[in-house]
Amino acid sequence: MAAQSATASRGGLRKALPLMAPAYLWLTVAIFLPLSAMVFFSFMTDLPLSGKPWAFTLGNYAAFFSQSLYLTLLLASLRLGLEVTLWCVVIGYPAAYVLAKVLKGRSREAIFLLVILPFWSNGLVRIFSWAMVLREGGILDTALNAVLPFKINIDLMYSYPAVIIGLVHSYVPYMVLTCYLTLQAIDDSLIEAGRSLGASRLQVLKRVIIPLSMPGLVAGAALIFVPVVGSFMEPRILGGRTGTFYGTVIEDQFVAVFNWPLGAALSFILLAVVLVILAIASPVLRRAT
Amino acid sequence: MATTRILEWLGRIYVWLLLAFLYLPIIIMALMSFNASPFYQLPFEWTTDWYASLWQNDQLISATWNSLKIAVITTIICVVLGTAASLALYRYEFRGKKLLQALLFPPIAIPWLITGTAMLIFFFGIGIGRGLFAILLGHVALALPYVIVVVSARLQTFAPELEEAARSLGANQWLVTNRVTLPWIMPGVIAGGLFAFAVSFDQFVVSYFLSTPGQTTLPVEIYAAIRKGFTPEINAVSTIIIVVSMALMLLTARFFKFGGEK
Amino acid sequence: MRMPDLTALLTATAVFTSAFAFTAQAGEVHVLNWKGYGADEPWAIAAFEKATGDKVINDFFNSEQEMLTKLRTNPGLYDVVMINAAFNDQAMSEKLIQPIDVSKLANYADISKDKAGSPMLDHDGKVYGVPWVWGLTALAINEKSFDKPPTSIAEMWDPAHKGRVVIRDDAVEAVQFGAIATGQNINDIKDMDAVKTKLTSLMPQIKTFWSSENDWNQMVASNQIDIGTYWSGSADRAKTHFKLPVSLVIPQEGAVAWLDAFSIPVGSKNVAGAEAFINYMIDPKFYVEWVTKVGAPVSANTKAVEALPEDAFNRKVMGSPDVAKRIQFQAPITDAQREAYLALWQQLKVDVK
Repeated sequence: MAAQSATASRGGLRKALPLMAPAYLWLTVAIFLPLSAMVFFSFMTDLPLSGKPWAFTLGNYAAFFSQSLYLTLLLASLRLGLEVTLWCVVIGYPAAYVLAKVLKGRSREAIFLLVILPFWSNGLVRIFSWAMVLREGGILDTALNAVLPFKINIDLMYSYPAVIIGLVHSYVPYMVLTCYLTLQAIDDSLIEAGRSLGASRLQVLKRVIIPLSMPGLVAGAALIFVPVVGSFMEPRILGGRTGTFYGTVIEDQFVAVFNWPLGAALSFILLAVVLVILAIASPVLRRAT
Repeated sequence: MATTRILEWLGRIYVWLLLAFLYLPIIIMALMSFNASPFYQLPFEWTTDWYASLWQNDQLISATWNSLKIAVITTIICVVLGTAASLALYRYEFRGKKLLQALLFPPIAIPWLITGTAMLIFFFGIGIGRGLFAILLGHVALALPYVIVVVSARLQTFAPELEEAARSLGANQWLVTNRVTLPWIMPGVIAGGLFAFAVSFDQFVVSYFLSTPGQTTLPVEIYAAIRKGFTPEINAVSTIIIVVSMALMLLTARFFKFGGEK
Repeated sequence: MRMPDLTALLTATAVFTSAFAFTAQAGEVHVLNWKGYGADEPWAIAAFEKATGDKVINDFFNSEQEMLTKLRTNPGLYDVVMINAAFNDQAMSEKLIQPIDVSKLANYADISKDKAGSPMLDHDGKVYGVPWVWGLTALAINEKSFDKPPTSIAEMWDPAHKGRVVIRDDAVEAVQFGAIATGQNINDIKDMDAVKTKLTSLMPQIKTFWSSENDWNQMVASNQIDIGTYWSGSADRAKTHFKLPVSLVIPQEGAVAWLDAFSIPVGSKNVAGAEAFINYMIDPKFYVEWVTKVGAPVSANTKAVEALPEDAFNRKVMGSPDVAKRIQFQAPITDAQREAYLALWQQLKVDVK
């Protein structure tokens, strides 16, 4: 963030305000204020909407600690988020590199757009398609058995790997594009200079390319990790018996029973945990480079 | 540099493999729109009935138009507001900036179910109510953080000396932004816009809470349909959308440069 | 802010905003129901609109809780709402629905007496819900997996079906199913531990938890499952309409029965239209067409059921006295019970992860 120092000055806020105000005003009206109402609800015993008497309580937050269930599921969701993010890095970063440094001209622009396009289809329809690929007697099973000389049985549907595949598929474009944005900005001459000074490919990657593309990696990781931890739709449909996660119990409180206060409290705990993780992770990531 | 050549070819193959992975479900979706079974049943039985009946399904078509309209407007608003906010966060140093940056994450982290419920209650409280306008209001708010995060990532690769240099040559702030900064971050802006479109176009939960009977969006129709009687008309309409967008995108790629080519 | 103030404020804003919200107009009937559940059939709407001149506008919900929320937050918008009888009491006590003048409904007299007089729908001598259709949450089988249909609920626990059993992702339904499997009254479960033990031993058998009719049909179409809990009307529809190898099994141990009814929300701007619509929904002519074209649960109107062919499933099987003896109708449950069931169900799902 050294860049900011150039124009950093007193009265920064005054100059920043006109540019920032519209976006943050919009966020305030449509997100922050509504969520504040939810924060308020999360401290109530019952909703006034339901016409029942209510009082203030910390009970909804205490509930999280009183049952091992919530912590178990939160840890499972964090693990899921971490695994999906790592897979997205492993799969997405090399692709971003090729896109930024190997491909040139029109084909690069075309592929850049093609990476995002699958996103424009409906998430649920995509999950249905995955079911068709992953199930026993599905496309993957049939295709592998047609190629392989021996008989294998592939039934990934309704399993943890199915959840991972579905989520990685949904989120990997974020990683490709955010990494592309920072990789593309690296001057080729820097890389060439490193090489001509005798550094191996690996050293250049470690010392030049990865550090310079770090903002993109961090942004991509945040945009993937954060929503995956709270996801419930993909895990439920693809995960079957193993598809219960933290997002599921939040959903249940809103949909199955009319307990918004507990559901809200559970999601603010999630938010707090996620923000703490981001706060810890971003300096560590930056230092690691 | 034979190794380099080989590595580059491996890289190209890898990118195509990734595209194959990304498009696998899309291709299946498209195939199933031509399959007679509404349950993705095999063997495949060719039919165009779903396209024919889609034509009769006014509700699905009008929901699709609503979705497209909202997504396009959301994208435009998000790109403008988001880019401006990213520039402010990048250029200026002030107290509370870290907080403002952290505030971008609640909309992403809080499950949309909760955000949607919160919006429903709040919009009622202040008299906005439900409907397409409320949906638009919600979508922009959900997509804005994505745009800001993506554009900011690109901005961090920008050398502020460039702005300085332009300024020292007598350019005013507007000119500097327009001629120096914006061209540099354009790939980020485009990517942010594409994300914003995706977030809005595929947004179900918030739209669901904020839609009214006559005014729904495509995802709301889809989710309502899977409860009882999913119909491949949904695959058909999704296929049409993907094919048309792909054509538009490739045309755009043919005639415009935006990938940040130096 | 003190509590009464806040309640007053919320009520005030609700009233205030309802003026901004969609205002229903006379000549329109706003109907709130499950999607694809009779009331939104295009041919039915067309027939009703032709007969009465009222335009039907459908809105849908995905869970009973959501239906109640929609009623709470949209006072005056809806004219007709479809409510499971077990939720009627709650809707009435929250003053979301109003008494219905059944003398305006010509077909009401034909509704079977045990349903029309249900204490779940009638309060203080007033009718708050008009029984529409009823059905079962029983078992359904994939015909390809069985030579002859099983008769006992124990089939779900048979190791032969390991990994090919499904159950709905619904806490109340799961617990009541467990009650039936342990020989208990679903509305008065004495031995909750037995239910828990029974369900715990079922969990390793399960492939996935279904949540919509479409889930079930997709899985059976691709031959991924053998047996599972299913709704009677859906099983009938899967068989007759979609030609899937599905048949319903009403196990000897019994099955959960539910009753769906129509109500008129408080603040309806077109009560006459609502009455006409409800009357049409319980009309034998509509019902026969619904069963034939789409597949449906059992009508509460005895004349409507009699209008079906002699061997129709809804007449022959569902109407048989033998079945009537085995089934248990769902009664209302309290919020506390519902939350306790959910906690149990979530724990079971986590333990099997």
